[in-house]
Amino acid sequence: MDGFLDLLTLPAVQRSAIGLLIAAVGLPIVGVFIIGLDIIAVRFAMMHVALLGIAVGLLTGLDPMLCGLAACALAGAGVAPLARRPTGLPGAMGLLMTFAIAAALLVLSVSGVNATGAFELLWGSILATRDIDLYVLGALALVVHVLFWRWRRQLALLLFDRELALCSGVAAGPLLLALLVVIAVAIGASIRLTGALLVDALTILPALGARNLGRSLRSMVAWAIALGITGNSIGFVVALLLDQPPGPVLVLVAGTLTLLTYLIPEGARDAIDPGRRAGRGGDPVSAGQRMWQH
Amino acid sequence: MTAAAIRFDSVTCRYGRRTAVDRVDLDIAAGEHVALTGANGSGKTTLLRAALGLHPTAGGTISVGGTPADSRSEWTRRRRDVAWVPQRLTPGRFPLLVDELLDSGGDPAAARAAANQLGVAGLGSRPLHTLSGGQLQRVFLARALGAVAAGARALFADEPTAALDFDGQEQVATLLARLPVTVVVVSHDRAMSRACDRVAEMAAGKLRVV
Repeated sequence: MDGFLDLLTLPAVQRSAIGLLIAAVGLPIVGVFIIGLDIIAVRFAMMHVALLGIAVGLLTGLDPMLCGLAACALAGAGVAPLARRPTGLPGAMGLLMTFAIAAALLVLSVSGVNATGAFELLWGSILATRDIDLYVLGALALVVHVLFWRWRRQLALLLFDRELALCSGVAAGPLLLALLVVIAVAIGASIRLTGALLVDALTILPALGARNLGRSLRSMVAWAIALGITGNSIGFVVALLLDQPPGPVLVLVAGTLTLLTYLIPEGARDAIDPGRRAGRGGDPVSAGQRMWQH
Repeated sequence: MTAAAIRFDSVTCRYGRRTAVDRVDLDIAAGEHVALTGANGSGKTTLLRAALGLHPTAGGTISVGGTPADSRSEWTRRRRDVAWVPQRLTPGRFPLLVDELLDSGGDPAAARAAANQLGVAGLGSRPLHTLSGGQLQRVFLARALGAVAAGARALFADEPTAALDFDGQEQVATLLARLPVTVVVVSHDRAMSRACDRVAEMAAGKLRVV
């Protein structure tokens, strides 16, 4: 136990803990967006797009990581028009992934850089979190929360059905564009900060669990954050106690929590979500009744 | 005859090479209620979707209130002016509460009142995917009535009684007949057709009888 407490005094461990906490507050919302848009393959696509950006950076002498993030943002914006097609976005992610890796390898070949070396620039580890990484994570979490809380009603309609959103006055095109850019940049930056494996634990897994527990976008987001914080806290403590690498332990803990949500019976889900039992909607209101009740 | 509130002028829509709507001309006066009938696949739904910008036109123009829609802002205005009850009442790929749907129509209070009248009050905290087909249809109708209360000048309803029992069909037909706005309703339901001022029939993409 003393050894564990000693570990907590290390600045690297403290930064990692803070990073995981910030990530647990922001990234699960990105996961909810990803599941809502049915683009779980986005992580793989953005990994390859970021590599293409890094390759371009190495070729041109610009900051490779900035180029990687810019490439992710452009790719997110580039696939937005495909959402109009019924199977547009999921298919687009596969296309993007293939195009990006081919283009990246070509650019790396032209620039004379070893592909493995470029990949290493993309790989991060939560234990190697720097102060600047915390600022980036914090900024990302802030942007994600602003996007969600400012446009949550519109997002609920858009993620439910794009045509319904359009017919409800939602600017579906610009909102979807913003959503995809935020997702792309968040994934690109998170891979660099936490490592590719951990990105899934921080984004997709809490959102998958929340999908089983929440019955609206808002409750899904709340559940996703709760699962994220719980999974990250338990996973990080267990990793330190067992002296194991945090990435796989965090993924296993998050995966177990998600698995448990699949095992909860429907009736028990009602019991843990008060909103499921409440019949608060549909109250007749006099203003509207004047028009319809003759 | 007053100027047409809704004008379909030689409207053509295609799915790939197949022509779904073939040079349809139809004028609908302000406040007129028109039933659009015809066999499955005759182009009724596509015509309504084209009027809302949900399906591209390959030719012709569709004006609402004398104005065609070309820009994004004009389409936004068009969708505000026309309340819509979709045919495919998809439960959606993501959870959405009944209350959230009712709030999206323009006048949440009126939508809730309509939901009360249609017998689906009290479902507000239920996600749409947990409703039956009939409940879902009534909730979408209540939402559209909320949009009319908020100022929509027309209501397009695509088979709004398809999932309802006989009493429900009569109730909805009566409710729509009372609406003081232009109504275009796609329906195979005789009660609904009888409640309308005019019946237009489509066959193989063409408007056959008006």
